[in-house]
Amino acid sequence: MFFLNLSLAEFSALFAVLGGAVVALYLLDRSRKRIKVATLRFWTPSEKPPEARHSRKIQQPWSLLLQMLGLLLLLAALGQLRWGSPERSLRDHVLLLDTSAWMNARDGRRTILDQTKTDAVTWVRSLPASDRILVVRTDALSTPATVFETNRGLVEEAIKSSKASASALQLTQAVDFARQMQRLHGRGQGEIVYTGSGRIADKEAAALPKNFRLLTLRKAGENVGLRKVALRRGASDGELWEVFVTAHNYGTQPRKIPVALAYGHAPVASGLLDLAPGADQNGRYEFRTKAGGELEVRLIVNDAIEADNHAIFELPAQRLLEVDVYSDQPDLLRPFLAIHPWIKPKFMPTNSYTPETKASVVILDHFNPSAPPKTQAIYIEPVGGGSPAGAATPITSGMKLSWRNEHPIAEGLRTGDVRLERGEVFASTGNFSVIAQADGKPVIVTTTEPRKAVVLGFHPAKSQLRYELAAPLLFANIFKWLTPEVFGQKEWNGESIGMVRALVDNNLKPENIKVLNDGGVALPFTLEGNKVQFFAGNEGMFRVVAGGREQVYSLTLPEVAETTWEPPKDVRRGLPSMFAGGASSYDLWQWLALAGGLCLLLDWLWFGRIKLHSSVATPSPLNAVSRWVSGWRKAA
Amino acid sequence: MAEALIDRQFLERLERLTIHWQKSFQGLVGGHNASRFSGSGQEFLDHRGFHQGDDLRAVNWRAYMRLERLILKLFQVEPRVPVRFLLDTSSSMATGDPDKFEYARKLAAALCYVGLVRLETILIQPFRDGLLDPISAGGGRHRFQPIAEFMQGLKADGRTDFLQVSRKFLAEYPQRGLLIIISDFLDDRDAEKPLQYLADFGHEIFLIHLWSEQDRRPPWTGELEVEDAETGQISKMNFDDEARDAYTASFDAYAGAVRQMALRKGGKYVGVSTSIPVEEAIFGPLMLARGIY
Repeated sequence: MFFLNLSLAEFSALFAVLGGAVVALYLLDRSRKRIKVATLRFWTPSEKPPEARHSRKIQQPWSLLLQMLGLLLLLAALGQLRWGSPERSLRDHVLLLDTSAWMNARDGRRTILDQTKTDAVTWVRSLPASDRILVVRTDALSTPATVFETNRGLVEEAIKSSKASASALQLTQAVDFARQMQRLHGRGQGEIVYTGSGRIADKEAAALPKNFRLLTLRKAGENVGLRKVALRRGASDGELWEVFVTAHNYGTQPRKIPVALAYGHAPVASGLLDLAPGADQNGRYEFRTKAGGELEVRLIVNDAIEADNHAIFELPAQRLLEVDVYSDQPDLLRPFLAIHPWIKPKFMPTNSYTPETKASVVILDHFNPSAPPKTQAIYIEPVGGGSPAGAATPITSGMKLSWRNEHPIAEGLRTGDVRLERGEVFASTGNFSVIAQADGKPVIVTTTEPRKAVVLGFHPAKSQLRYELAAPLLFANIFKWLTPEVFGQKEWNGESIGMVRALVDNNLKPENIKVLNDGGVALPFTLEGNKVQFFAGNEGMFRVVAGGREQVYSLTLPEVAETTWEPPKDVRRGLPSMFAGGASSYDLWQWLALAGGLCLLLDWLWFGRIKLHSSVATPSPLNAVSRWVSGWRKAA
Repeated sequence: MAEALIDRQFLERLERLTIHWQKSFQGLVGGHNASRFSGSGQEFLDHRGFHQGDDLRAVNWRAYMRLERLILKLFQVEPRVPVRFLLDTSSSMATGDPDKFEYARKLAAALCYVGLVRLETILIQPFRDGLLDPISAGGGRHRFQPIAEFMQGLKADGRTDFLQVSRKFLAEYPQRGLLIIISDFLDDRDAEKPLQYLADFGHEIFLIHLWSEQDRRPPWTGELEVEDAETGQISKMNFDDEARDAYTASFDAYAGAVRQMALRKGGKYVGVSTSIPVEEAIFGPLMLARGIY
């Protein structure tokens, strides 16, 4: 036996002081009561003899004994008297409280997280007061909610304030973390206790330590959820949106689930997914719109987890490219500007030219502008050095056209033996990038200062190039380079929180890749081949910008684990028994407090002032017992 | 100060009341409360200069117009029936829960206010084993403030000696009138006879007998050391239910004897327990006894 809070000397001293106080109070209680009255004229003493003599000495030893015994027992309870040895009682437990997305599943009116919290609190209350507990909230990451703590209030508060996250449980990591915490900060034996849903993201079953205890595994009902939603614009139709939906059946029954798409709260598409148990099913849907708005993809189903039944995307309006064309021969250029439906050209004669324009791109065809345009421009066969490329020399007959394919504008352009008959080549390259050359002399150049511009030394429609596929491709590349925000490739993906994997173009260098969050802050990522990986711990919008391609990840779906953990059969389960192996010492204070209270109650019943006044004979437990025995004998 | 003793709402309720007596006193105005207000019967006595606080109604305005000085007319007031209070301030009044002395002060203050509102001439005479310094007032409710302050300054102390008090009172106040005695009437010697002397002398006595519940039925049981609050005498005794019943019977018998004496002498008697509020006592037992109405 030992006292957790008091040494034997301290306990003895405390008992002596309180015992003395009790004896003094006892004598005081049995002494006369002094009162002050208005007059003595009406006072007459009772004719009966006094029940207890008023001398200050112990008249009722049984009463005093009961009081002293009660005091002793209550003091022992306060001192948290325990059975066992103190060294073996120092136990540090780690409670792994599952807070993964699956804990949001409902079983009846309560979520299984609520049920698990109740289990955890029950476990905490079953432990001896000296045991320390570390509460760890586990999902994809393991986060301690307390230190090793004996204060049960703090531990229960940490349990009750836990909320389910949106990521899946990594049980192996959680167990490793608990073992590490016990090893580094623990002071003795203790258990690693897990309570939760048992739905894990681990591919392999965790290797459990010997001190692992499975408190409860709470099962939820059937669930079907979205796993991925991808959106992109139609390749040939700018107004068309293609939506790819992947759903998963986490349950054991086959389900037919309706899928509904609403754009700006108006239904735009619907379908039916036939989901086998534990399997994915894909669906493709289309809708057309030019306007920007909010697209909601929803599974029409009432199941355990509501959060994975819908995903929302904010889609931008379709943007058209306005092009002002100043040309005296517009028909030559019309075929090149009809290459894409998003290009909206406006043809005007060269004499109506003004530098001010609202268009995004201006084409200047074979004339010298009075002032350079205040936007991005394409100069075709400029006259008299009226282009940013400056002075030029005429093309001599039969100069061979070749491309510098390292520039994005020349990317993918191939021409055979195309020779230029007329036009100009530029003298110096300076700050310009060369796109094409005629016999090694620059014939198509670009600049970015003060704004983007492309200068063509020849007219594509007046050369042999007009018979080549490279001619429209050249214009397509020019427009894509000038206005990447219009023609840049963009995809929207709806996925779950956690590790995100995005595919990018081959041979991209890491410095050409950016992963940005909502606020435009760059996130760390890894690049393996053409696979970019990054971790998103919260809901939000993330962008992967790589080359001319941008992928937007709307991470609003919870990461619902599909693997059901099967714990080993020999693992400890449920609440530990009071005298279980680990619990080598246990509390006695409840019983001591009860016994102490009982002693005081008996003293009050037998020797209390009420009894004292109503009975002539001095009561004692012996008298009570003898009265009971005599009554029993009479009855017998 | 007055608010500390009696609250304003209570004072407003007291405005409707009148102190009542039955006797007619020779040479005094007001037998049976027939005349309470000053009137044409008052005769001019003298002039004097106006002082702050004087009644403006008594200013001689004609003299003011002539002399541009405020001059007060003085009248010879006919003697009125004096209403006197004998307030017990002995130590025994400080016993009980709630305190009898505090209760007595409130009750006396309330009755004084009733008298002042009706323009009675009021005298408050505290006593113990003799008479203490009194205070007198009259002329309206605005004279209540000094009385309230006087009440606040009183303290309960000393022994009661009704015989001495009666002798001195009769010597001090030969003019007869209404005599309201607020006390617990606990005197080691006999209190009935001195009270009887007062009535025999011609005063109309109105006895207000105060007691606390502990005075009438002590709650204590067992071995007791009982100390007399006035004499300090200690008596050790065993006290039980039977003794308690005997005590209460003795107390009731004493109160009954005092009551019989008062009624026999044409006076009034009201027994009031301090467990009931002062307001209830005035509008209850005191009105029933027709001491006020």
